[in-house]
Amino acid sequence: MLNDFRKTLTKVIHLRSIIGYNGLVFALKKTPVIGKILPDALYRTTALKVIYWIFHVIKEVFVLFIGKILGLGLIYGASLLLRSAYTEYEMAPGVSGAELFSCFSLFLFLIYALCGMLVNNNYFRCTTEKEYLVFMLRMNAKKLNNTLFIYDLAKLVIGYLIAGIVAIIAGAPFWLWLGIPILAVCIKLLGAGAQAFIYRVKFKNNKPMKRNTAALLVGLLAGMFAVPAVMVVFINGYYIPVSILLAVSGVLIILGVLGFIELSRFGANLHRKALAANIVRAEVERYKEPDTTKQFKKIKAKGTVKGDKKGFDYLNALFVRRHSRILITKTVVFTVIAVLIIGLVIFSFISSYNKSFGTGNCVHMVFSNLLNFILFGKYQDVLQPYVEDSAYSFFRYLATTHLLALMIPVSIYDNSFKSTQAFFINCDNSLMTFSFFKQRDKIIKLFDIRLIQLCKFNIVPAIVCGVAVNLVLFYTGGQDYPFQYLLTFVIVAALSVIESVSSLALYYLFQPFTTTVNVKGGAYMAARIILGVIAVHIFWIPVNSLLLAGVLVVFTAVYVFVLRKLVYKKAPKTWKVKA
Amino acid sequence: MEFVISHLVKSYGSKQVLKDVDFVFEEGKIYGLLGRNGSGKTTFFNCINSDIDFNSGSFYLRDDNDGGKQIELLPEDIGYLVSTPTVPEFMTGREFLKFFIEVHEEITPDRTIDEYFDYMMIPEDDRDRLLKDYSHGTKNKMQMLLNIIASPKLMLLDEPLTSLDVIIAEEMKNVIRSQKQGRITIFSTHLLDVAVDLCDEIVLLHNGRLEPIDKSNLGDSAFKDKIIAALRDQNDA
Repeated sequence: MLNDFRKTLTKVIHLRSIIGYNGLVFALKKTPVIGKILPDALYRTTALKVIYWIFHVIKEVFVLFIGKILGLGLIYGASLLLRSAYTEYEMAPGVSGAELFSCFSLFLFLIYALCGMLVNNNYFRCTTEKEYLVFMLRMNAKKLNNTLFIYDLAKLVIGYLIAGIVAIIAGAPFWLWLGIPILAVCIKLLGAGAQAFIYRVKFKNNKPMKRNTAALLVGLLAGMFAVPAVMVVFINGYYIPVSILLAVSGVLIILGVLGFIELSRFGANLHRKALAANIVRAEVERYKEPDTTKQFKKIKAKGTVKGDKKGFDYLNALFVRRHSRILITKTVVFTVIAVLIIGLVIFSFISSYNKSFGTGNCVHMVFSNLLNFILFGKYQDVLQPYVEDSAYSFFRYLATTHLLALMIPVSIYDNSFKSTQAFFINCDNSLMTFSFFKQRDKIIKLFDIRLIQLCKFNIVPAIVCGVAVNLVLFYTGGQDYPFQYLLTFVIVAALSVIESVSSLALYYLFQPFTTTVNVKGGAYMAARIILGVIAVHIFWIPVNSLLLAGVLVVFTAVYVFVLRKLVYKKAPKTWKVKA
Repeated sequence: MEFVISHLVKSYGSKQVLKDVDFVFEEGKIYGLLGRNGSGKTTFFNCINSDIDFNSGSFYLRDDNDGGKQIELLPEDIGYLVSTPTVPEFMTGREFLKFFIEVHEEITPDRTIDEYFDYMMIPEDDRDRLLKDYSHGTKNKMQMLLNIIASPKLMLLDEPLTSLDVIIAEEMKNVIRSQKQGRITIFSTHLLDVAVDLCDEIVLLHNGRLEPIDKSNLGDSAFKDKIIAALRDQNDA
């Protein structure tokens, strides 16, 4: 039996090391720059495998220390502190220090172990190595589960015995040092045995074997509520006598023995079924997880394109119609929130006015001022409270000299990145196999159509942003020169175009996406980061909005022109499916 | 018209997949590009279709009627049918066909959209459904149809019959045969019987090189044995 255990464990550890090592090399080879340098020979380099093994062993020991020694060590440490506090303040007269220590340690350990049993019960969890060994290499599932379980229990016992030495030095009784590891093993057996029992009953009733999430929840809640409750108990000087704790421990040990019996009766076939059920469950859960590709597959089946759109215009119009949810949700959400904020600002204005000038003519004054503003660009001095307010002065300063900071809301509402992903996943990825799609003229034609489309998506939130800035200007003294309000819209529109054309051009020049929504291009990410860093540095520069609008209009025109040229020249080579 | 490949080399890191591909394909013939799994058939096609860069070599069209003039192979000269058909899932078959004909301004379609569907035997109830709901075989037919409409000079067919049912595979074979005139067709497969059944010439892609096989005994068992022997590595012995 010992020989069997040794053989199985050797196979598991060997496989674990192969999976770990190959996974590490694979990850390294996928890393930009480094990946290109590393040769395939890494997979068979014995020296590196040995180094990996050394690290693997260190990690195992580290986990042992952290998980077991530290866990129990903390319990013993807390018990020591409590003992000294109880002794100092004579909260437990007539009880020896050793007994007090045992009370605290055992009590805390029982809570710790029982919560652990519910939360961390991995006996039937199907890991990668279990999947390979049982379902590909046809290993006996029971033998494998038991071997790994015994290995875990051995680590647990060793870790607890080492931690117990500290307790012995601190004056804990010998039985506690030996008893806690035994109790820990029995609680583990109880957890695994209970799970086996539930599986066996369910299997008998042809019900799917699934992890008991209710138990998990109870464990988590118990953990959450136990700590404050225990604190209250201790602060008030209470403690549970050792005899009661020993009785509870005795019950748990008996239940652990029953768990052991249950496990020994649990056949190899059931073990295999439980592991298989675990795989299926993991797959289902993986499927349930917010799948990033799923959102791109929400294609509206109904609706068509009206009018006489042809060719790429037709393609784009159909794409937008069938993907409206993906393409405009973000901008709609932004717009709604921004409109609400603007509403609050207007409400605040009316409310302030109301306080200063009374309810009677409040609405009339507000609207007559708005009308005055719209018709003549002027307003009366009713806005004086805002003009004098230091907070509003600050906002005015921003609205007149820091409009480049509008890049922040623009980058929030602009959906170009996600739109380019949707373009690739649901359209370009498939059309790239057709030669016409890679012709320069056609590439640039579709690029232009898409750029206009992305800019159209941004019109409404851009106007909303412009309105918000202009409201600040309006409430704090109005425009400094003619057309300042209009220039705000020009600035935000130009920033929107810059944001959209950047995302779109980067997509055409680096095409970083895969069909599983991953971003694979290191150059693409680097380019985005560089652009981001430049933007962060630029938008703090104070610029008068008149000057800014002029510069931005020219810059946007040049920027779009240059990027279009680049796309025209490079995209036939760069805009393709990643091999 | 000929398609000339001259000393084409493609490597992935230290692994040389195409060592020295040097071959001339003639118009009006279906070439069966036969190779083992992983021999580089798809890599070869991807190089020609400019989906991946190659290390060295060149390829071009040669017009025999014009004194062997070399003509650059442009993207629009190539039709590429991949084994796993990818179609824009958000469009219906009819919408996709309409769009495809419209963007190919240089083509004057000789049929209506429904006649094209009929030609490819695409059922009527499929024509106005989203392409994402098409079966693998119908997606494959759509892809073939689009390549037929585009009428390329060079047709690359990368294992197009893989995982098609018997009926659709037979229909596709007939279409491929009927489309071979006026163009060069290269049909890659790892299935010997398919290659023998469909192709006029057999070319082996073996050890990174293209090797023509004498077609005189195409079809008899000795010929098959010869191909198998040629494809077998020394390591397999």
